[in-house]
Amino acid sequence: MELDRTDHPTAVNSSISRRRALQLFGGAAAVVPAISALAACGSGGSGGGSASLSLIYLGDATQQKAFEQLFAAFNKTHPTIKIAARGIAAGDWATFASTVSTQIAGGKVPDIIDVATEGQGLLASKGLLEPLDPYIAKDQQVVDDYFGDADPKFKEMTTKYGSVGGKTYFIPGGYNPVLMYCNTDVFAKAGVDLPASDWTWDEFMQAGMQIKSKTGAFLLPLGYSFPFVDIMPWLLTNGASTLNADWNTSTFDSAAAVESATFVKSLLDSDLSPKPGGAFDAAAQMAKGKLATLGGGRWPTLDMRRLGLVDKVRIVNWPTKTQQGSPIGWDGWPILKASKNKDAAWTFLKWMMSKEASEFYAQIGGTNVPARESVADSPAFLSDAPQGTDLIAKAMSYGTAIPSPNQGALTQAAITKGWQAAITGTMPVADALSQANKTLSTLL
Amino acid sequence: MTTAQPSSQVAPALDPRDRGRTPRPAGRGWVGYLFLSPALLLFVVFIAGPFVAAIVLAFFSWDMLTPAKFNGAGNFTAMFHDPLLYKALANTFIFALASVLTHLVGGLLLALGVNRVMNRALAYFVRTAVFFPFVISWAAVALLWKYVLDPTFGIFPYYMGRVGIHAPDWFTDPHWALPAIIGIDFWHTIGFTFVIMLAGLQTVPKELIEAARADGANPRQILWNVTIPMMSPTIFFATVITFIGAFQIFDPAQIITPDGGPDNATTTIVMYLYQKGFQSFQVGYASAVSLLVFLVMMIVTLLQFLGARKWVHQQ
Repeated sequence: MELDRTDHPTAVNSSISRRRALQLFGGAAAVVPAISALAACGSGGSGGGSASLSLIYLGDATQQKAFEQLFAAFNKTHPTIKIAARGIAAGDWATFASTVSTQIAGGKVPDIIDVATEGQGLLASKGLLEPLDPYIAKDQQVVDDYFGDADPKFKEMTTKYGSVGGKTYFIPGGYNPVLMYCNTDVFAKAGVDLPASDWTWDEFMQAGMQIKSKTGAFLLPLGYSFPFVDIMPWLLTNGASTLNADWNTSTFDSAAAVESATFVKSLLDSDLSPKPGGAFDAAAQMAKGKLATLGGGRWPTLDMRRLGLVDKVRIVNWPTKTQQGSPIGWDGWPILKASKNKDAAWTFLKWMMSKEASEFYAQIGGTNVPARESVADSPAFLSDAPQGTDLIAKAMSYGTAIPSPNQGALTQAAITKGWQAAITGTMPVADALSQANKTLSTLL
Repeated sequence: MTTAQPSSQVAPALDPRDRGRTPRPAGRGWVGYLFLSPALLLFVVFIAGPFVAAIVLAFFSWDMLTPAKFNGAGNFTAMFHDPLLYKALANTFIFALASVLTHLVGGLLLALGVNRVMNRALAYFVRTAVFFPFVISWAAVALLWKYVLDPTFGIFPYYMGRVGIHAPDWFTDPHWALPAIIGIDFWHTIGFTFVIMLAGLQTVPKELIEAARADGANPRQILWNVTIPMMSPTIFFATVITFIGAFQIFDPAQIITPDGGPDNATTTIVMYLYQKGFQSFQVGYASAVSLLVFLVMMIVTLLQFLGARKWVHQQ
């Protein structure tokens, strides 16, 4: 991983072990590029016409393939603008944001970053991004057409959380909620009916018990390291969350949150999930019939296609306790202040807002729900996808923006540590969440 | 017939002060510096430069993305009120002490065992097998052990269960997470200590052992009174190297327990430094912590050298 390096000084010793050598190189890598960082951040200017854009995005090998095709399609329509894209296979968005920030500090300043909700606050708060309002004003018709085709809640959400000081820094791309992918074969073997759309926590647990006894398959892989899927759906379907709506007060120790964690712990204690902390490959185990469900937004569809599971899987809403709930995260496309190709970068962002790009990305295997409802409701998005894919876009109506304060990586660490302690029983649930809540409150 | 040599061919009278010096061709001193320059450049860029930068940065508040601000001794005073720093230091000391102990004992026992193997082919095979994990990258080792110790599907918990032992949840139980990392580190790096010990063992003069045996010493007495004292410089070297390496442990703990493990049980000092520098973006504070790491390592190494006078046998 790019960030596998440390920043610490050197012990002078004539004998350098392998570990030591790595540390020395790591220390240098951390400090030396820093010297050039400020200079790099200070550069500016803009240009148009023929240009080469550098772009960073998050993606594993499967996702990178789709992104590369998307950029190639842009190059076809805009042959004078070349895109040199780099995919970072970070495990989550907070790590991605930290990685990108470190690269920027090291002088590798891209023109555009595809960054999700969890990292947007950090980048905007550091003054690294170019306000897009003048560009939007220049091409108001294009922007209006784009948001006119999106759910009004999407615009409201992205505007509220993506703007800093009244300025717009991001053009939102697609979004992702969290629903449940269910292996219909496993459910059928266990004699459990899948819900038409909604089901309750209790029904979910009963289904899990029956599946476990009849087939031996696990119900769901429970965990703590990816709050978007592992934690937030359980909180939101019980009316709880980690932070309040303005992301300035921590609410991780509310009675509803404690109830959510207690329920998840009971699933774990009932052996309905593989034990967290291991190396469980959910998609592969689902293909083997050893897992009944897994959580996710649009991105698991790519795995389902890869594993030939599209016809054996159905998507249903997350089980509820008191209400429907799902976190919503979206990717935003900012232009860096230090970019020397701002006009070309805006040309790319404009193209990304077009229906043509949205359809193309959805068809080739985009990892999120297109913001344009006309595309999300079209075969471009719905074909070659599990039954129930239409529910993914509908989750926007009841979804909640994933709380993403500026200290994204640290808040995520506090949340995961608290949840881990709660569900694995290393601390009483209420104490674990209370302790995490205190840490969260100091970060806000 | 003898002829007088021309004065130019007469060897110059040796100046006693020049004894031991190699005559240097006039005007070619730069060649020496030329040979030295790659190492010097690497030293300046990768060791001296970052070290000086860390000292300077420790007096600043800097988030990498906005200009640095002078913070005086603020980063150093903040360290005194940081409970997680103490926890990380404690974890690191426990890891380093366990690592030194297990590596010295394990490496020595392995070396003694392999040294007794008479079959050369078998000896080569065992040496290679023991050393092999050391050449595997930490990333691969960490993932491998994550699979092996997986509480649901892992081979290790499975066979422990077969013999009636309930395996703990290695990476989610605060009592077992650090011992698990210590065990993984042992498997990965024991080969290095083993090779050092084996080399040291083979330098012990056979005459001494034979003399001790002729005097009636049993194998245990030979080990304690001849072999180990004669190997003490090697053991000392292994102790210093192992401690320095162990105190900087980062890779397995970060890959297997990226957030520092349950209840920060596996947060080591270098992990903490990384978290502060690259997740909290408190580069100044991280630099101050790095200086603390340097100071601790320097003090411990000095103590080791001072203590060595009492037990290391100088031949």
